[in-house]
Amino acid sequence: MRTVMKTCLIGILVIGMTAAAVSCKKENPAKLSSELMPLEGNPLVHLKVLVKVGSAYDPTGKEGLAQLTWNMMADGGTRLLSIREITEKFYPMAAGVRLNIDKEMSVFSGTIHRDNLEAFYAIFKDMLLDPGFREDDFTRIKTNQVNFLERGISNNDEEFGKQVLNLMLYEGHPYSHHMAGTAESVKGLTLDDVKAFYKEHFVQGNITIGLAGGYPAEFVQKITADFGKLPGTFTPKLSLAEPRRPNGLEFIIAEKQTPSSAISIGFPVALSRSSDDFFALWIAGAHFGEHRQKLSLLFQKIREQRGQNYGDYAYIEHFIQGRDKFPSTNYCRQQQYFSIWIRSLANSNRHFVIRQALLELRKLVEDGISEERFQLARTYLLNYTKLYAQTLGERLGWQIDSHYYGYQDFLAEVQAQLPKLTRDDVNRAIKKYLNFNNVYIAVITQDGEAMKKALVENTSSPVSYANPDMPREVLDEDKIIQDYKLDIKPENVRVIPAQEFFQKKGIPQK
Amino acid sequence: MSRFIPLVLAVLLLLPAAPLLGTDSKIFPYDYKIEVLDNGLKVVSIPLPNPNIISYYTVVRSGSRNEIEPGKSGFAHFFEHIMFKGTKKMPRAAYDDFLAKLGAGTNGFTSDDFTCYFVVFAGRDNLAQVVETEADRFINLWYDEKMIKTEAPVIEGEYYSSVSSPDRRIFELLYDTAFEKHSYKHSTLGYLADIMDMPNQFDYSQLYKKRFYAPDNTILLVAGDFDHARLMDLVRKNYSGWEKSNYVLQTPVEPPQTKAKRGHIDWTSRTLPRLVIGFHGPAYSDEQIDKAALDLLAEAAFSPSSAIFQKLVNQEQKCQGLNAGFGDNRDPNLLVFSAVLKNEADLAYVEEEIFKELERLKAELLPADKLAAIKSNLKYSLANGLGTTDGVAGTLAGYIELTSDPGTLNKLFDLYEKITPADIQEMVKKYFVKANSTVVTLTTGGAK
Repeated sequence: MRTVMKTCLIGILVIGMTAAAVSCKKENPAKLSSELMPLEGNPLVHLKVLVKVGSAYDPTGKEGLAQLTWNMMADGGTRLLSIREITEKFYPMAAGVRLNIDKEMSVFSGTIHRDNLEAFYAIFKDMLLDPGFREDDFTRIKTNQVNFLERGISNNDEEFGKQVLNLMLYEGHPYSHHMAGTAESVKGLTLDDVKAFYKEHFVQGNITIGLAGGYPAEFVQKITADFGKLPGTFTPKLSLAEPRRPNGLEFIIAEKQTPSSAISIGFPVALSRSSDDFFALWIAGAHFGEHRQKLSLLFQKIREQRGQNYGDYAYIEHFIQGRDKFPSTNYCRQQQYFSIWIRSLANSNRHFVIRQALLELRKLVEDGISEERFQLARTYLLNYTKLYAQTLGERLGWQIDSHYYGYQDFLAEVQAQLPKLTRDDVNRAIKKYLNFNNVYIAVITQDGEAMKKALVENTSSPVSYANPDMPREVLDEDKIIQDYKLDIKPENVRVIPAQEFFQKKGIPQK
Repeated sequence: MSRFIPLVLAVLLLLPAAPLLGTDSKIFPYDYKIEVLDNGLKVVSIPLPNPNIISYYTVVRSGSRNEIEPGKSGFAHFFEHIMFKGTKKMPRAAYDDFLAKLGAGTNGFTSDDFTCYFVVFAGRDNLAQVVETEADRFINLWYDEKMIKTEAPVIEGEYYSSVSSPDRRIFELLYDTAFEKHSYKHSTLGYLADIMDMPNQFDYSQLYKKRFYAPDNTILLVAGDFDHARLMDLVRKNYSGWEKSNYVLQTPVEPPQTKAKRGHIDWTSRTLPRLVIGFHGPAYSDEQIDKAALDLLAEAAFSPSSAIFQKLVNQEQKCQGLNAGFGDNRDPNLLVFSAVLKNEADLAYVEEEIFKELERLKAELLPADKLAAIKSNLKYSLANGLGTTDGVAGTLAGYIELTSDPGTLNKLFDLYEKITPADIQEMVKKYFVKANSTVVTLTTGGAK
């Protein structure tokens, strides 16, 4: 258990205008906390209100309530102003309130030129502290949420595949449902549900106020006083049971008419950024599948050598892409999962590429990483992470995440810890946390039953190439991949029509 | 193991990184220098206070606009992929290793008019290596037919990555229907038939490179923590041997549209109904008021604070989203209004409301306070994006490709300042004519 540093808002002292975060230990879990990053002379101010409540806190049968409630604040009127009036007032400042929501935390944020800080904050404050909870906003926002679940989510097969994998990873677990809930649960939500959820969870102890940039010193006192009027209570942190581990290779094929297949593969890992082994496994993850970088072994093997698709990546924790290709911040979770993202590819090649990804995973677990690749991946991470925190929102976001996971400055810790690691540390972490026999695989594709038959019967899956002169070593490896035997039991392959997902809780039953 | 280390790194990052907005200041507030090599390569350098980070952008002024020959749609984007194949001196694998060790944020992207490559990296000491490596790959790119045949199916994969998106399809059909001759007719990704033929295009790829990947068609844009004189020494040393192309592109002239057009897509899986309306508009200009006035109009008529947005999205709740997108292009392109609806039955109503709003804007002058709010929004929106080296280089790249002059951004915002409600009204009358419109709808047909 690590000590988490927090900034207490009560009795805070801002030392000069260039002071870094003033930290003291948070004593009272029912009071506000804050993360401050004053930057004298910076013309922008970034403001975050982080709530340590996300979709995992949705009451049973009311899945989607956290998202609906927070959206009623971020995209609805206040008691005094309609959303139209808010939009009109924000418009000349190019201002807005952004909401990010995850399983265990949600963030309201905005970046504003300091010329407009006062005018922006007057409205921002009311949106969060004095929301209107108006009927017309409720109808609009709830309908959008239902439409997304019924008719939006399947407009992006790759994202759809990731969400089906999430259902498999967390069946019966608070992380299981989509942040938006299910069509059935959201249709049943009422404005009273929203008001009750707000009253219970939008309370001091759940909230961290984040400020970065050129805000005046007295602004801290102002925001502290305003949010300090919220009830001095808190929601206890979820006590999460271990998610169910896959038993063998478990498939869900979400079937729809499509020329291409989107594939997501994964399993839970008992590790988070707080774990001592995190840095070692992170190097393994960067080597195996760094997000949208050519360093990724899967990218090299599947895309660069064979031209199968646009990209292939792997992650040792939940990953959301932020600016450019960098990781987003403030998606912290108590429990994590390992995943592989195979981007859409021609249906004819789906079986081959699933075999290839699982074979590469097996080689990673059995053979580990070479010294050369270890050095390369480590050097890469040491340099690439220097680019992570550039905007005000990113800097503050990394500061908040650092503290969540028990670091004063996680990115500085990267520079301190990575040079100490050896290839053996990485290979030990791989063996400890990764496996290739017990894995969930979600596939969005067509002709599901034919695919199931081929998988279960281990039908040979050769591929052909436009290039008649493919390198000999690639063709030799293909012969191994195309007949790589996978032990897939028929009862472990479920073929389910795509449109049945996210309508009701859990994985649709046949 | 202690997780607590001094705050030195955090303090080092605490430098101002975005401009102040004053009434007299230029919208692009940073000083920049422009130098042109004898071979025509233009270099724009913007030293910034962001500590130890450099964004190195190469802007090739060739995009899908340059795909004027039949069967070659999508080629600019395909060639962007080929540009990562390495050289004899530094083959692909060595190039990938170089970037991995550098820990660089790197990629390329292709748009209508240009293709942009960027390397964002930490460490000013790495600049020399980056200049040398980037110059080598632009001058000495080497690939063979086999590499083309392996890379081409990746484009097919990229096509598949968004095949489930109804938005992509509806915009593809809009441009394909609205344009008769100009290469804006096809998307940057290209027609699927042309994508499938890319494995056979080795010879054309060589011709394409010769025509467009040349110093007289390229701009280097470097922003961040470096010394200008040092940068120029490196650039002269590494790029001076690059030969000019002298190729002059003649894009086909689009004939005026004289009759309203329509298209429809029956989507096979469940989605919300969609509507897009395109009008042929003017090319980008920082001198003629047409496009600048229409930029302001797009905001006035369709931003979330506009009357029609409030009516259709918030009050009547017929639409989930409503948008106006008037892109900046070197040649005249479409001014597009788009709507995502909740019910198919409202398609005709929403279409009528958009046309009615345009008619209202022909009859009524935009209130002066509304225009002032729009100008303010555009200024702050731009300023908010200039906080990183990438924000600066990326924003400027999108303007510099249009005129090859970084000063165009300030000229454009000066032009915005001069535009009056009467100017906007005149442009609405000039461009939003029914005969000049193309409407495309998308509904789910059988897939309810």
